[in-house]
Amino acid sequence: MTALLRRSDSANPGMRQGHLDSVALFSTGWKKFGLLLGLAIYLLGPLMLSDFQLSVIDYAGIAAIGAIGLNVLTGYTGQISLGHGFFLGAGAFTAAYFGGNLDLPLPLWLAAAAVVGALIGLVIGPFALRLKGSYLAIITLGLVFLGQHIFENWKSVTGGLSGRAVTAPVKLGPVDFANLDIGGKEFSREGGYFYLIWAVVALVALLVKNLMRTRLGRAFQAVRDRDAAAEVIGVRLARTKVMSFVVSSSLAAVAGALYGSFQRFVNPEEFGLFLSIEFVAMIVIGGAATIYGPVLGALFITAVPFLIEEWSDRIPGVATEAGETGITVFALNQALFGLLIIGFLVLEPRGLAALWARIKVYFLAWPFSY
Amino acid sequence: MANSKVLLDVKDVSLSFGGLDALKNVSYQVTEGELFAVIGPNGAGKTSIFNCLNAVYKPQTGSAKLDGVELLDLRPADTAELGIARTFQNLALFTNLSVIDNLMLGRHHLLRSGPISGPLWWGKARREEEVQRRRCAEIADFLDLADHGSMPVGALPYGVQKRIEMGRALAMEPRLLLLDEPVAGMNQEETEETAHHILQIRRELGIATLLVEHQMDLVMDLADRVMVLDFGQVVAIGEPAEIQRNERVHQVYLGGAS
Ligand SMILES: Nc1ncnc2c1ncn2[C@@H]1O[C@H](COP(=O)(O)OP(=O)(O)OP(=O)(O)O)[C@@H](O)[C@H]1O
Ligand SMILES: [Mg+2]
Repeated sequence: MTALLRRSDSANPGMRQGHLDSVALFSTGWKKFGLLLGLAIYLLGPLMLSDFQLSVIDYAGIAAIGAIGLNVLTGYTGQISLGHGFFLGAGAFTAAYFGGNLDLPLPLWLAAAAVVGALIGLVIGPFALRLKGSYLAIITLGLVFLGQHIFENWKSVTGGLSGRAVTAPVKLGPVDFANLDIGGKEFSREGGYFYLIWAVVALVALLVKNLMRTRLGRAFQAVRDRDAAAEVIGVRLARTKVMSFVVSSSLAAVAGALYGSFQRFVNPEEFGLFLSIEFVAMIVIGGAATIYGPVLGALFITAVPFLIEEWSDRIPGVATEAGETGITVFALNQALFGLLIIGFLVLEPRGLAALWARIKVYFLAWPFSY
Repeated sequence: MANSKVLLDVKDVSLSFGGLDALKNVSYQVTEGELFAVIGPNGAGKTSIFNCLNAVYKPQTGSAKLDGVELLDLRPADTAELGIARTFQNLALFTNLSVIDNLMLGRHHLLRSGPISGPLWWGKARREEEVQRRRCAEIADFLDLADHGSMPVGALPYGVQKRIEMGRALAMEPRLLLLDEPVAGMNQEETEETAHHILQIRRELGIATLLVEHQMDLVMDLADRVMVLDFGQVVAIGEPAEIQRNERVHQVYLGGAS
């Protein structure tokens, strides 16, 4: 076969370049520009934004890590999960235990969370992923309630119903992100965490991007697009879906660990169904099966409640003080997320990222006009 | 046939769904490098023959051996590793992925990177990607698929998608290629191109091929031997000229068609 194929080697120089193009990550001018812009925001953000704004963006970064994780399972592998919140909880309590009780350093409690998330995913995946579609949604929903039960009763680790403090150290060598000091310039806790959290976001995005352009990640996408065809070309369906679940759970747990550490206190209640639904909303609104979609979704979903809070006295019918009549900010959030999910599913199933993708496809497809 | 070593040996395969016999005591052999066509009216069991070789269907009785290895005990993914590649009657591409990624998936069983080395990218995984992508680009060139870049293949014309499926099968480096109606729905020009590619695969790559096709002149032109199926049973096996002369074939198939 090689001999024959070699003959046509010089036939199409375009393809020659094309296949290596897709090996380079930031191949186009726009992507390079985006990278530089991102870097500038990363470096300057904590110098220019208020602590309140930084804390919103910190929470959004944590959410982005979890959303990228859910997107591996849902966007890239086509498997729905309502259990994502549970894995955030598992990560948060792992950080609380390994970082707090055992006083392990930052890289170790983060890694411990990743490993615990992966292991739980590995144990549960084979049972859950036998099912498809709404059955999978229901069984992962069960996971949330099972998790709540465990979190509320495993008191020595989770603190039970009343929750627990998270005192995991956030030092990396001489750098303490909770008290960041660069050459005499002191940063707030929010500013320090901003650097830590968004560095992790960037790292996770890069790792997932690489995963998706290599063997396993391609197999995820094959399973999503056509599972029967994937199987006859040699993709082991069960194993592949479980691997996707493992990656997804592991990233959720990393997000949970950072969440606990940033918030300094966690409570089992936080890791219920609503959190899972927020993550589904993030990837629906942001756009599945891209790397930046879930990040956009996370920024959006995290910022909305704060914006509502900020403007609540100007929105009619919202109760801002206890005792006032009207719906609460929390209830308004829930209703709004519901509406957003439905709205995006109906009007733009591919989310915020889709507009850009559609423009791109249009130009790539030229001169075919469909 | 220049090389008459038996590659695929199918004996007495019977497959039924509930009360319906899709295949009844089907036996045939395909030799190395042979282009073996399977024809028959709609519902005769042609696609079922492929699904058995792929271990997608489990026949109730019989055996199918590829170079001595029993296929019927395997799982679909194993047949890929053994060297069986196929295209589907109805397109079954990974529609959101590019041509190259579809071909790369054909090579899935030849690749090694995993959940750690893939994300880390540098080193082993990267080298593997580069080498294999180059190979896929060659295969894309071979099938004139080179100018579709990173377009999701679902957006490409039907005829092109059919050809990409052939490319994905070739990318598997198969020993036995199963083509299920490769020119169905194609216009004259696309049909001729595809016929040319099938010939090239046979002549220059020497891959044994099972071809299911309704278009009779194509089958008679290309095939070394033809097997005629009707209601799941083998009516005749022989060279195209013999098949065209065969009375029973005329009755069940050619007679009805013309
Ligand atoms: N999964 C299945 N379940 C039930 N019956 C099936 C199944 N697959 C095939 N059959 C039946 O088996 C018989 C043979 O089908 P098959 O698809 O192999 O025919 P074919 O020769 O490929 O036909 P066509 O030319 O229409 O593609 C048909 O009667 C079909 O309805
Ligand atoms: Mg068929």
